[in-house]
Amino acid sequence: MSGSGIDDVHALEPEDFIEEVHSFEHWFEAVEGYLKGLDHGHLPDVAEALLTAEERDRLIATFCSYAVAETAALEASSGLIAIAPNRHAKIFLSTQTVDEGRHVEVMLHRLRELGVPDPEAEVERRAGPSVRNLRKKILQLVEAHEWDAAIFAQNVALETMEYTVFRAHARTADPITRDLLERVLRDERRHIGFGENELGRRIREDKKRRLWLGTVKSELDSLVLQTFEEAMEEIGVPRWDRPSLGRDYLETVNRLGLV
Amino acid sequence: MSSVDVDPGADRTRGDADETPRRRYELEDLGFDEVPKKYRKFYRRWNGPGDTIAPNEALCPVCKVIIRSPRELRAGDRLYCMACMTRVRIVAGENGGLETETLY
Repeated sequence: MSGSGIDDVHALEPEDFIEEVHSFEHWFEAVEGYLKGLDHGHLPDVAEALLTAEERDRLIATFCSYAVAETAALEASSGLIAIAPNRHAKIFLSTQTVDEGRHVEVMLHRLRELGVPDPEAEVERRAGPSVRNLRKKILQLVEAHEWDAAIFAQNVALETMEYTVFRAHARTADPITRDLLERVLRDERRHIGFGENELGRRIREDKKRRLWLGTVKSELDSLVLQTFEEAMEEIGVPRWDRPSLGRDYLETVNRLGLV
Repeated sequence: MSSVDVDPGADRTRGDADETPRRRYELEDLGFDEVPKKYRKFYRRWNGPGDTIAPNEALCPVCKVIIRSPRELRAGDRLYCMACMTRVRIVAGENGGLETETLY
């Protein structure tokens, strides 16, 4: 399958596809396409928009919450490597860990670009309470070695929320923020896909595990919803537009049969 | 992306209840940069609900990327979304069209 002469990728055997997409080499060749030549996560020639003091302050608060969410994903994905049940999951999580490290770094740098002298102190001071609670909850599940629940919390709940919020934000953001978020979103596609497929495989023929994950989901729902609402408020999405934005999460849990 | 010929053979790996020849498509790289270069021609971005999905294309239900095949798609076909690592199957939809479902 090496080289450019691939007639039909869909003719791959399922095992070969799974081997390929979980590999470090696949990840490296994929991210090269959209991360090469950037300056701290965005194209170097994008000009900073003129923001009012209020817009800048709101954007700073938003990035503070994003930084907490990304730090949660960095800590959790690295912690999950040790308890991953197979090689594919371990290697994939090593690539996710690198992605999340990049996200934390570019988001803290965006805060510097917006005039924040000490981004980490700003994050500590201004990140929303719900995203902090979600971070705590995810890390508790990782520390308890609850593989299925932690993957659900991180790769389904947190990542789907980030995917939805970043997409909504990118639509109305200043050009630098939009470019940065659109490149983060390319990473998020892999993360949500990994979570759904990993859990889908594990609960396909294990009704008890599916029922138990449904309970985990119910316990997390209110926290996820609060965090989602907090993020929507920060980026200024009108209330009438929010239900459609929550659709991705509902569709995922429906496909997994966790309702 | 143009139809170039027909494929008279049944497919070993996929459902082929309809045995009429399938149209074949010459795929070209449409700039989808989220997968390694050698796989790019098999994917493109989705431009929202107004985007026309061709007979050799399907929308990934997980990450909403358009998956492209070199052949016209039919119910029972299996596709791979490399952007989100999902296997999907083409199924007949209630409105007579084709839809996708995830295969874990």
